[in-house]
Amino acid sequence: MNKPFKISTVLITLVSAFLVYASFVLGNSEDYLFPRLISGTIAVLSLMLWFEKGEADKSTNFKDLMPGIAIAAAFILSLKILGFYLASMIVFFTLVMYYSKPAEPKDFWRVLLIKLGVTIVFSLTLYALFTLLLKVRTPEGLF
Amino acid sequence: MCYLGDTMEFLNYFDNVFTVYHIALLVGGTFAGIILGALPGLSPTMSVALLIPFTFHMKPESGLILLGAMYTATVAGGAISAILVNVPGAPANIATAMDGHKMAQSGKAKDALHYCFMSSFVGGVFGVLILIFFTPPLAALSLKFMSTELFWVAILGITIIATLDAKSVIKGLMSGLFGLMLATIGEHPTSAMERFVFTDHLEGGVHIVVGLIGLFAMPQVWNLLENFYGRKNEVFSATGDSTLVQSFRLVAGKIKALSIGSIIGSVIGIIPGAGGQIAGIVAYDQSKKVSSNRSNYGNGEPEAIIAAESANNSMVGPSLIPLLTLSIPGSPTAAVLLGGLLIHGIFPGHDIFTKNTEVVWTFIDSLIIAQILMLIIGLFLSRHSKWIMKVPDNYMAVGILLLAVFGTYSIQNDYSDVLIMFVLGTLMYFGSKAGFSPVPVVLGLILGTMTEEKFLLGNMIGNAKGSSFQHFTSGTINIVLIALCLASIVYGIYSSRKSK
Repeated sequence: MNKPFKISTVLITLVSAFLVYASFVLGNSEDYLFPRLISGTIAVLSLMLWFEKGEADKSTNFKDLMPGIAIAAAFILSLKILGFYLASMIVFFTLVMYYSKPAEPKDFWRVLLIKLGVTIVFSLTLYALFTLLLKVRTPEGLF
Repeated sequence: MCYLGDTMEFLNYFDNVFTVYHIALLVGGTFAGIILGALPGLSPTMSVALLIPFTFHMKPESGLILLGAMYTATVAGGAISAILVNVPGAPANIATAMDGHKMAQSGKAKDALHYCFMSSFVGGVFGVLILIFFTPPLAALSLKFMSTELFWVAILGITIIATLDAKSVIKGLMSGLFGLMLATIGEHPTSAMERFVFTDHLEGGVHIVVGLIGLFAMPQVWNLLENFYGRKNEVFSATGDSTLVQSFRLVAGKIKALSIGSIIGSVIGIIPGAGGQIAGIVAYDQSKKVSSNRSNYGNGEPEAIIAAESANNSMVGPSLIPLLTLSIPGSPTAAVLLGGLLIHGIFPGHDIFTKNTEVVWTFIDSLIIAQILMLIIGLFLSRHSKWIMKVPDNYMAVGILLLAVFGTYSIQNDYSDVLIMFVLGTLMYFGSKAGFSPVPVVLGLILGTMTEEKFLLGNMIGNAKGSSFQHFTSGTINIVLIALCLASIVYGIYSSRKSK
């Protein structure tokens, strides 16, 4: 059992314990009959997991992943303020710029303009498709 | 014989498919499906999940036509990246990559793509015919299923998918049970009492499509970003000597490989949860055993591609048989399609062909037309496939993110759904690192409400009779279903030990 596997087993056991607590302690028995059956089975399986030999699949590359999660989380939290289209343009451009293979210094402005152009075209396409054609509502924001 | 009359009914509904609107949906779905399937990492399951919200405003038959076309096309499209980049677009295309990429390396990528789409077409049509002739009799059989039997059917579906799709049987089963727990968030199905509502955002529970999008799309976004700097794939051009006619002659001459692929794919498609990955590999292996060119397998053998591709596409139709009759999906993508059916008010079961005759037959007929379009559009797109492969991962990741957010919000115009999708998907990503699979979670979520309702009903009847336990464990069908659940767990343990 490697370290990531041990950590995941501990976390799963904690989650299982919480589910058992939530099913058996928080509610009355009638309404929680089915969740009790399920959470009880999950708890038994999580105990069996301690006896399973295994390795966690891959280690997580947090260095490359976390900025992406942070940008996406900021995008979702800003949806109600900026609205879908403005927030989408910002997140599109930010993510595409952050996750770019290094370009030659002389190409910097050309690459930047291309990415900006793609961002605008993509956002306009979304607007034309969703709002004008399909007439589907999107988060509107304050602006 | 009475079933023959029922099955021939499918001929009456082609008119519904041949409308300008439905043909446009089929062409659009097939075109987009092949492109999405060709993009490495965008699985058919995720593509169908992302598409479901766009079908909300459509009539049920129109929505299902679009989803069916996408399902068919993504499976075939996955072969493009398998051949040109050696990265299967979907698990179903793993066997295709073995010989297809060898052909690309020797400058015959175009030929390999021709074989792939032509054999996919043959297998696909064969599979849909199996779907047409086998579904009505099985639907009639499901009439014998009452509350306890339907409870065990749901448990069987989750058990099979859990044991086949995960690397660890324990984690697979836990994934399915987590899905069932997710379905219990919100109102109790009969008393309407709120459960597990720890925040206002959870008041409405976890909507099926929110779960589908979160569990399939978000992990893919994180995966693309996490590996952005490490991924380097050489993309081969779709070059080759054969004309379409020459390729057609070659494929038509490989009757043995086509038959093996189509039959194996169909049989595996009917087995709940098995899916295209197994179909492609088993067909590859079996065709190798009977081939006179077996020494060339692994070195760019056309027969290998033909067997694998006809198998993974012939699986598509039959994977819908247990889905339409018993709510048990034959593949992970069929599990997502079950969500699509429920959203459109179509409940699988014995009366699916009486309550929703027009919708279901129109959908099934459209799958045949989708196969024809897949062949035409696939052959056309394969010429430009190198361009498709060049979509950078950062653009793909942000595109999926925006579609996921938009699709989730559009379901109920509820911001809470977006938050649930994001959190659920991110947790699933880390869960998948620890060996959990999203497919059983999704199936648990989809079947959760139905499972709880049947459990409560069975429990009530059992208590009235004197023993709930006895009520759930007596009767031939119950015993058979329990035995199948146990057998699938034992088989899962056996196969996971064997693979270690």
